[in-house]
Amino acid sequence: MSAPEIKRFVVEQFADDVTVDDLADDFDLLDNGVVDSLGLLRLIAWLGDRYSIPVDDVDIEPDDFRTVDAMTAFVARHRAVPAAG
Amino acid sequence: MITWTEDQRSLRESVEGLADVLSDGHVEDDQRGAFPRAKWDRVAATGLLGLPVDAEHGGLGQDVLTTMHVLEGLGHASRDGGLSFSVSTHLASTATPLNRFGSDELKRRYLPRVAAGELIGAHAISEPSAGSDAMAMRTTAVRDGDHFVLNGSKAFVSNGPVADLVVVYARTGPAGTAAGTTAFLVPRDTPGLGFGGPIAKMGLKTSPLCELFLDDVRVPADHVLGRVGSGFLVLDYVMKREILYSFVINVGEMQRRLEQVVDYAKNRAQFGSTIGRFQSVQNLVVDMKVGTETARLWLYHTAQKLQSNKDTTIDVAISKLVASEAAVASAMNAVQVFGGYGYMAEYGLEKDLRNAVAGTIYSGTTQIQQGRIAAMLGL
Repeated sequence: MSAPEIKRFVVEQFADDVTVDDLADDFDLLDNGVVDSLGLLRLIAWLGDRYSIPVDDVDIEPDDFRTVDAMTAFVARHRAVPAAG
Repeated sequence: MITWTEDQRSLRESVEGLADVLSDGHVEDDQRGAFPRAKWDRVAATGLLGLPVDAEHGGLGQDVLTTMHVLEGLGHASRDGGLSFSVSTHLASTATPLNRFGSDELKRRYLPRVAAGELIGAHAISEPSAGSDAMAMRTTAVRDGDHFVLNGSKAFVSNGPVADLVVVYARTGPAGTAAGTTAFLVPRDTPGLGFGGPIAKMGLKTSPLCELFLDDVRVPADHVLGRVGSGFLVLDYVMKREILYSFVINVGEMQRRLEQVVDYAKNRAQFGSTIGRFQSVQNLVVDMKVGTETARLWLYHTAQKLQSNKDTTIDVAISKLVASEAAVASAMNAVQVFGGYGYMAEYGLEKDLRNAVAGTIYSGTTQIQQGRIAAMLGL
């Protein structure tokens, strides 16, 4: 389950004045200025590294990183499937 | 250490073979400040401008590392640093985003001629008041039916005076947000698109630069690169490659300068000895060697990480910083070792120094890179 982990990262890196419980899954991080342009790159880089997503090769748009919900869906869509067995 | 294959080496040799042609009259060309179109065509004929373009669209389908290996050869062979800069601008500004983010139709229409160098590319990002702060850009693009209407102005458009295609970054969303920009491929003859005259600058004089004016420029919606609102992500993808491509050219130039300086120091006699025997001269040359090797290691290390889909945000910033500062030091040391001759225009070393200063400015200044690294460290 990636959502709690993503939320923890967002709070730690961009909003250390709120708690993980305070951050709603659908809170718009971009329009509310929590995540700026460089922050967006950091988020994408972290998600790519953490979930083995080849971010340069998949189609991405800022909307994929607007909310914790959107990021969770992005990870689910692109996460490398571990080899069976 | 990378061991290059026979194919990679032969691609590079085709460019190295042009050393005499590309370097011919480089001091005079610099003084005239004119874009050397005939030399551009010679570079294009080697296939270099299609290196990173998919084979189905007329390119050579090579990866970032191979493209860099050949570009390092260009820097090594050509003493015309402006021409080389125009080459890397073309590759990064236009060939790269069109190949990666263009629709099939857009690629079919433009990419073969971009790969062949028949169409010259540029991109327009910086604005007079915003500089490197892409989120502060004022140029807007408003949807109108099947088109977007662009208004605004751009500064520092390298290749602008000779460009056939310009990738324009414009605001399609709220100011100051990371999802507010979009990249558009705009042909030169689009009504309302105005190009300023070539602007005089300190170095890279054979690579022309101008301002760009957009007055109700109607761009078909299918000329968007990537998606609407994704301009910032397109720009990040582009800038990483722009830095790797431009600065590996500088590594080739540093290598050539090092060879030139070693040769001079071994032969120039002063006070009954060759100057290469003086420790103070040796130190200048050794610093050039260390700078060249350090820049080369950082750039190829970063490219390998990039090709392995690792996060390279910090690595690219460090590579840019290290390589650009090493290039200035290398050029300065060469002037110093050559003494009075280094200061004279006819040897081309003072030109190298002026060219190298540009590297600490474009693609994000040294200070912008430091800021990026600090931000990535969470400061």
